[in-house]
Amino acid sequence: MHRDEILLGTLYLLILQTLARSGEMHGYEIASSIQRISEDVLQVEEGSLYPALQRMLIKGWVTAKWGTTAGNRRARYYQLTALGRKQLDAEMSQLERVIGATTRVIEAV
Amino acid sequence: MIWLGEFARRFRMLIHRREFDADLEEEIRLHIELRQQEEFQSGMTAYDAQAAARRRFGNTMYLKEESHIAWGWEWLENVAQDVRYGLRTLRKSPGFTAVAILTLAVGIAVNTTVFTAFDALFLRPRPVKDPNSLASIFRTTPGEPRGGFSYPEYLYYRDNSRAFSDLSLFAFGMAVTSSDLPATSPGVVPRVAGAVGFQLPQLLQGSAQPIMCFFVSGNYFPMLGAAPLLGRILLPEDDQANATPVVLMSGNSWQRHFHSDPHVVGSTLHLNGAAFTVIGVTPLDYLATASSIPDLWAPVSAKIAIGTATRQELENRLVIAGFPMGRLKPGVTLSDAQAELGVLAAQLRTQYPEAERNMTVGVASGRSNLAALDSDAWPVVIAAMSAVALLLLIACANVASLLLARAVARRKEIAVRLALGAGRWRLLRQLLTESILLGILAGALGLPLAGWMLHLLIVEIASALPSFWGTIALEINPDIRIFAYTLFVSCAAGIAFGLTPALQASKADVNSALKDDSTAFGYRLSRSWLRGLLIASQMAACLVLLISSALLLRGSQRALKIDPGYNAKSVAFLEMYDPKNLHYSQSQLLQLNRDLIHSIVSLPGVRSVSQASRGPIGGNRWVAVARADATSPPHSTGGGETPLAGYSYVTPNYFDTLGIPIVRGRTFTPREADGRAHVVVISEATARRFWPGEEPIGKLLKIGSEKGSTSFPGERDPFVASSVVIGIAGDVRSMDLRRLDESYLYLPLSQSRQWTSILLVRADGNPTPLLPVIGREFRRVDANLPVLAAPLNTMVSMDPYFVVSRIGGVLASIVGALGLLLACLGVYGVVSYSVVQRTREIGIRMALGAQSVQVLRPVVTEGLRPILFGVALGVLASAGVSRALSATLFGLSPLDPASFAGVSLLLIAIALLATWLPARRATRVDPMLALRYE
Repeated sequence: MHRDEILLGTLYLLILQTLARSGEMHGYEIASSIQRISEDVLQVEEGSLYPALQRMLIKGWVTAKWGTTAGNRRARYYQLTALGRKQLDAEMSQLERVIGATTRVIEAV
Repeated sequence: MIWLGEFARRFRMLIHRREFDADLEEEIRLHIELRQQEEFQSGMTAYDAQAAARRRFGNTMYLKEESHIAWGWEWLENVAQDVRYGLRTLRKSPGFTAVAILTLAVGIAVNTTVFTAFDALFLRPRPVKDPNSLASIFRTTPGEPRGGFSYPEYLYYRDNSRAFSDLSLFAFGMAVTSSDLPATSPGVVPRVAGAVGFQLPQLLQGSAQPIMCFFVSGNYFPMLGAAPLLGRILLPEDDQANATPVVLMSGNSWQRHFHSDPHVVGSTLHLNGAAFTVIGVTPLDYLATASSIPDLWAPVSAKIAIGTATRQELENRLVIAGFPMGRLKPGVTLSDAQAELGVLAAQLRTQYPEAERNMTVGVASGRSNLAALDSDAWPVVIAAMSAVALLLLIACANVASLLLARAVARRKEIAVRLALGAGRWRLLRQLLTESILLGILAGALGLPLAGWMLHLLIVEIASALPSFWGTIALEINPDIRIFAYTLFVSCAAGIAFGLTPALQASKADVNSALKDDSTAFGYRLSRSWLRGLLIASQMAACLVLLISSALLLRGSQRALKIDPGYNAKSVAFLEMYDPKNLHYSQSQLLQLNRDLIHSIVSLPGVRSVSQASRGPIGGNRWVAVARADATSPPHSTGGGETPLAGYSYVTPNYFDTLGIPIVRGRTFTPREADGRAHVVVISEATARRFWPGEEPIGKLLKIGSEKGSTSFPGERDPFVASSVVIGIAGDVRSMDLRRLDESYLYLPLSQSRQWTSILLVRADGNPTPLLPVIGREFRRVDANLPVLAAPLNTMVSMDPYFVVSRIGGVLASIVGALGLLLACLGVYGVVSYSVVQRTREIGIRMALGAQSVQVLRPVVTEGLRPILFGVALGVLASAGVSRALSATLFGLSPLDPASFAGVSLLLIAIALLATWLPARRATRVDPMLALRYE
């Protein structure tokens, strides 16, 4: 199964959107969600999630709190903040702009 | 404000760092386990599942580090790590650390001392209310950049200026005598000052003790917001002409003289015979805007009651009364005030053209005493700061060479770290941290050391000055500025001496270091030109300091042996301390003198007593002189300038008392003196100057000018239209110890008309044992009269060039000796490390049969080369410096061979010792041990 690397700079976007969609999640759930929804196309080095989450914590896009998983394990759950939602919108529109422009260039006759 | 939230979050992480790491660890572990579970459930083996999960996760260690770094505190953690490591390293070599810290502490302490003194004297804001709005006013005339004002001028500015909310006057201080002082204990004998050679005339035992009184305007204390300790402060009402005479006592005087008696407020104090009421006591050490603490503060109008000024003098526009200090109104700047005062000054100039000619008004900030530093003082300040900075530089250079040598011992450690991948910059930072740590530790030691030095200095200086000059109060408690300065100096020193060794060390040739090749570092340690240069420059600097001090001390020693032309050994100098303040009438004063002279002359051991308006040393006075026939101009030094001559009024037996020969002619007869005849005795040089080759006796001399000026308050310049020369006296050195007086006149003193405060007593031998006896006579004649006395030959220390020579010489020798000590420590350290380095080589050579001397020679030679180079450099530099000093050498040649040769040889000998001692260890090396040395 061949997997492609995610577009440069879209890791934050993916995480933000996942959290926006599903509310509270811990790191593993986020990774699994991305893998599942992308139908296993996107290959995210799972560990790289964590530095990214840390940076998002610093910037105030997410908050984290410790909770318990279904299997009774201690896990840190992340949640989107209002600032995070704003960031999500910004990154979304940026992606749309870039993809739109790229598509136009490609499809130009 | 988004960044504020971010900073808060980052900061919180800093505090909970460990928790954070643990949390992340747990989080990552969970993730991997969950993945592992999933893989396992989809059919892998447990082992494979684990491996797959780990692989899929990525480099855990790296990711943890990344996460940690994202929070941004890595730099701080690195610094902490460097500091911890640095401390450990320093602790491992306690000997080196101790020497380095001690060396630097001395250098830093000396710097801090000088800076603290400068700060306390000139930079600290005055201890009064709101010093920033204070401004001092001064009058500028050609020849006097910062002069004072007369009383009417002060009143004019005070009443007409809108820029100032209040303008007060500081009207100088005066020593007064009081018969109401409780008995005091005899003064403390200055220790250090005596050792250095100073001896100011001391108060004669048995005579009255004067105290210092400062005069200020009535609004002075209210303007400064002063609060009394007891009673009340002086108020404007006290400064009126017919107010009750009151005086404010200083807390220091209250403690010292009146033993803190609370009943002193309201009591009566007689000052110079006039009754004053004490209305209050200031807090202890209260300076207001003065430089020293007086015993009393009195209003300006009190000057009349005390007798230091007359009503006419206070109304005279030509008599300087004092220095005004004012408070600017809120919103008024210094330049606004300057502009307004300029306008007022112009108005004054038109109203009083004679009095206010060539005068302009200047304003300076009164916040601190900085404005008092005139252009003459700055060179001294800069010289002092440069000298101590030089000392610190020497200390740094010394420690730097020690560090360089030590870097060799650590080359293996550094090579290993470089090999493991440490960046050069990271290594550099760590080595620099160690140096800065050394600097800071040294600063921590240096700060209390400086405090101790300063305390010692102040106590010594204060005890050398007469107590009635006022108490010197220096605010030397360390404040944040001193701490900051010391910290800055310590860190700067740390970087200064640490940078070069760190740069060299981090360049280590990894391969050869790891192989423990003792010729590592790409070059032999012995050929390190940098270290040689450091030692050479230290030696040069020490040599300059020590040669200069030798020259100055020898020069000042010569001053003591100079024959002044009069007999200084058998004559005692007595100066009555201004008894005209005691309200004696002129006839009382003259009677006083007659009684005193009469009783002193009849003492056994006294040959003669004479009077003079100035003694043969101190208090120079000048007057314009010209030939009365005015046909041919005399040989004058300048172009069209009137020649000046020194002068004094003397009794007829003056020449006999002082042993000044009358070369031709005669001295005055008593009748001539009494009758105020127009006669004059001139010095040989004067005769040569005005009548070269002619017979001066009988010729006429014009002394002074018709206009008559008042060079000194209260003293008129002499004026005689035509005076007959009746005698020629031998030349003496009374104005400047370095040369004979160019021109000098002796005018007759009439003992029945003129009173002077100076008596000269000729004894049969040494006059010192006679002084207590003379003191008793003074007391017998008048118990209220304070008298200063000293044998004439000890008064040479009043010559300013002698003072400069002595102080300069002593300071230079202290600094030079310290510098030499530091330099020798450096030489010792470097040579001993060099020996350690060559241990293997020495062992081989000795095993091959070399004698101790043969082994010793290269080590010693190597050590001596930079020293000799430094000495040569230093001798050249000294020759240049000594040229600048030649004015204060009293005739000693600036290239005095004894000083140059003596000091150079001494330096070389000491440096040789510092080289030989560690080199000797080389000969004790056991060849077998050396060969095995690692």
